[in-house]
Amino acid sequence: MTITTAPSRSRSGEWTAEPGFGVYVHIPFCRHRCHYCDFNTYEGLDALFAPYVDALVADIDRWVGASSPATSVFFGGGTPTLLAPQQLGRILAALRARTGIESEAEITVEVNPETVDEPVFTALLQAGFNRFSIGIQSLAPHVLEGLGRTHSADRALEALAAARRAGASDLNADLIYGSPWERPGDWVRSLDGVIAAGTDHVSAYALTVEEGTPLHTLVATGRVPDVDGDVQAERHAVADEYLRAAGFDRYETSNWARPGRASRHNVLYWSGGNYAGFGAGAHAHVDGRRWWSERLPRDFIAAVEDRASTEAGFELLDDSQRGPEALMLGLRLTSGVDLSALKVLYGEEFLVAREPEIERLVTSGLLEQSGSWLRLAQRSTMLANDIICRLL
Amino acid sequence: MDQKHQRAIAVIAHIDHGKSTLSDRLLQLTGTVGDRDMRAQYLDRMDLERERGISIKAAAVRMNYRANNGETYQINLIDTPGHVDFGYEVSRSLAACDGVLLLVDAAQGIEAQTLTNLYLAVDAGLEVIPILNKIDLPAAQPEKYAQELAQLIGSEPEDVHRISAKTGEGVAELLEAIVERVSPPKGDPEAPLRALVFDSVYDSYRGVIAYLRVVDGRIKSREEIAFMVTGVEVEADEIGIMAPDLTPVSELETGEVGYLISGIKEVRLAKVGDTVTTRHNRAAEPLPGYQEPKPMVFAGIYPIEGDDFPLLRDALDKLQLNDAALVYEPESSTALGFGFRCGFLGLLHMEIVRERLEREFDLSLIATAPSVGYEIELTSAERLEVHNPTDMPDPSQIESINEPYVDVMVVTPTDYTGTVMQLCQGRRGDLQGMNYLSPERVEIHYKMPLGEIIFDFFDQLKSQTKGYASLDYEAAGMQPSKLVRVDVLLNAQPVDAFSTIVHRDKAYDYGKTMTERLRKLIPRQLFDVPIQAAIGSRIISRETVKAKRKDVTAKCYGGDITRKRKLLERQKEGKRRMKQIGTVEVPQTAFIEALRVDSDGASS
Repeated sequence: MTITTAPSRSRSGEWTAEPGFGVYVHIPFCRHRCHYCDFNTYEGLDALFAPYVDALVADIDRWVGASSPATSVFFGGGTPTLLAPQQLGRILAALRARTGIESEAEITVEVNPETVDEPVFTALLQAGFNRFSIGIQSLAPHVLEGLGRTHSADRALEALAAARRAGASDLNADLIYGSPWERPGDWVRSLDGVIAAGTDHVSAYALTVEEGTPLHTLVATGRVPDVDGDVQAERHAVADEYLRAAGFDRYETSNWARPGRASRHNVLYWSGGNYAGFGAGAHAHVDGRRWWSERLPRDFIAAVEDRASTEAGFELLDDSQRGPEALMLGLRLTSGVDLSALKVLYGEEFLVAREPEIERLVTSGLLEQSGSWLRLAQRSTMLANDIICRLL
Repeated sequence: MDQKHQRAIAVIAHIDHGKSTLSDRLLQLTGTVGDRDMRAQYLDRMDLERERGISIKAAAVRMNYRANNGETYQINLIDTPGHVDFGYEVSRSLAACDGVLLLVDAAQGIEAQTLTNLYLAVDAGLEVIPILNKIDLPAAQPEKYAQELAQLIGSEPEDVHRISAKTGEGVAELLEAIVERVSPPKGDPEAPLRALVFDSVYDSYRGVIAYLRVVDGRIKSREEIAFMVTGVEVEADEIGIMAPDLTPVSELETGEVGYLISGIKEVRLAKVGDTVTTRHNRAAEPLPGYQEPKPMVFAGIYPIEGDDFPLLRDALDKLQLNDAALVYEPESSTALGFGFRCGFLGLLHMEIVRERLEREFDLSLIATAPSVGYEIELTSAERLEVHNPTDMPDPSQIESINEPYVDVMVVTPTDYTGTVMQLCQGRRGDLQGMNYLSPERVEIHYKMPLGEIIFDFFDQLKSQTKGYASLDYEAAGMQPSKLVRVDVLLNAQPVDAFSTIVHRDKAYDYGKTMTERLRKLIPRQLFDVPIQAAIGSRIISRETVKAKRKDVTAKCYGGDITRKRKLLERQKEGKRRMKQIGTVEVPQTAFIEALRVDSDGASS
């Protein structure tokens, strides 16, 4: 099947109807866990680095899933760069040997500014990575401090510069906005700073106070003010304005890119594509089956050592569930979704049932329809959940 | 037993003044209940009553008492409800008595309802035995309150009994006083049967149990009898006495108190105040004083889960078997779905019914703001009775509106006279008079609209007088008033559940309170939601719930689509549970919160 539910772009910026196949690799280690973070990551497990890399490589070696070569690979964390470039390179090599990686593939690794310098970038490029996603978060010192980030603004910018010097051609700056410590000027300065530093892609995420995080406790007990949705909506609008002016296009709720620099791996998620996931708590999806592996690094390692499955759970979606899910995902993309493609893939029934609601939302200006493409109106971007849940 | 040796008495007392404890002591002293079987508040049957420490339904018990003169007397103790809503039932209990024990807390003095009941007893010509209870309490002031009681009933302070129902001190002397001071009944044993139904309860095994006092003649088991008001004719399947458990007897003589079971399945066919006679030897006239129970307070009751409507109907049907005063009819509300407009004797009655529905039938309910019954004269000269604000016609069609008034009596320490008067004045009260019970306590009379009392008047009275004032009221007819209906609109769509009838001068305050309250309760939507209060087409207050600006998850972490979908499914489920008013989604909690009556004086 060569039909895609949303257009994706190849690395050269061309539209492609081929959704591709992604691989996600999770590195669940951090030097220091940020108080807002609810990701699957752990401090103080340095002793597990080596066994974990061994387990990842072994798990990849025994992979018997989809055989098409990967069009995108994403090493996320945690802090993947806590591992040595050689270790990351070893995992990438195992993937290349097992699933294959297309020559044009986008191969990203998340980078924490304080763990990298020019030689590290050079080593990572040599290992085969061609895209770096740098966790800058903010260029305002008091915001970084509030967020509990241990790097300075200068160090973050220096990481971008070092990557460039090492020859990296595809850089993403990860930013967080709308934190309680941020003043309007801080956000503008952070945007200006990363634009000036020559980033190709910006992921800007509204700070979310997730339950179970230390930040949640701080907010619940009144020691830190809660985030303000109105302020965050305002900051999103500011980001959109600044980034567009600098030649970026927003292709997803929280992602902007220079032409041809949209993250293929990111788009894959939102277009309901197939991807494998390796490592603790990694998620995978192939043709309506979603599954995830053991969350704890030691459980993941033990499963591999025991030659047992690392799978901790799964769900099977039939067409009547996949259709609405494709809507849910695709509407996050600026392009929206191609209803005619959905019809072919998942049948007409679920769309017929949702027609009145879609019509109502189009009439009230919250959705836009042109031809068979359905998308959120610009003003609906930051209201996506409220609109999308009506279509589930 | 011959009439000479019979006494029927009631205890009139305020809630918490110790009526049930005194009853327990009397049962024990006369050996009616063995010490082993005794449990606190023996006569209060329902759990609800026991928990709240109040008696909702009157019960009666027969005690045999061997007096100091060596003779044995039959003393029937008739328990009376202690709340303003059940004034009529109290009056029927008193009509079945020969005398009353006026029981007053020696630390608190007499309260308004007790005073009302005392006046009822005095008007009925009953002997009154004044008693101060709880003299064992450190805070007791028996001298002071004995003076007050003596003055009230025109006797000497020394005549006031001083007891502790808890310890039993002084209770034996009371039994002697009952025999000595209360006159025996004076019925005619030869006349056709006339027995007064002073209580009527439904039992799921036995059907309706009517409690009665034989005023004239006698009633025999298996006899064919007739209820003179309802016209129901049945056989007396079983008659008996309460000793204290139901004990069948073959006949009840003139003056005796007992029960009747006759196969009747609903209390409204054997109503309190009705007269039982024999079918073949009918009395010419029923006993005087019967009244139809008249609902005074109305409210819509809705199941929170719409699917529970049939369960609510069944539950109301079952409650009505036991509650002749409860009336209801189905109604529907665009905001709340299908429910019932219910009529109650008063606020406590409403609270009890609602609590029983929730407790005994496991229902979750939402009630509209209580309303009274209005008489409306249209410009077309047609007359309407309106129990639901939404039934109120357009202002242009209304010639006049009458609303029910009540005579209110407040008994308060004189320190709070000004406070009470201010409160009553603010509720459109009209001062009728004052009567000093003592230099420290005063009884204040007002005429007020009932509609002003049902909005938390009692709570205000209690909190503004630190709990010292007490309240009683009785119906005082209808009077014309300048009333308007205030509607509340969400995004220009009226929400029927929030419509209320208020005095014109208070419409603005009500509208402002409701719109402000709703602004805080209605979650922000995809668009601005205007909240307006209006009289007819005139907007009197407006607030806006600004459109929300952000409702989106920042990212999808590591491809975990499952989590994101579950999050959105929960959000969708939340939407499904909301009520849709036009395009506005309103959570159930907003209705519950907005309709709560609270201390700022508005219905809510």
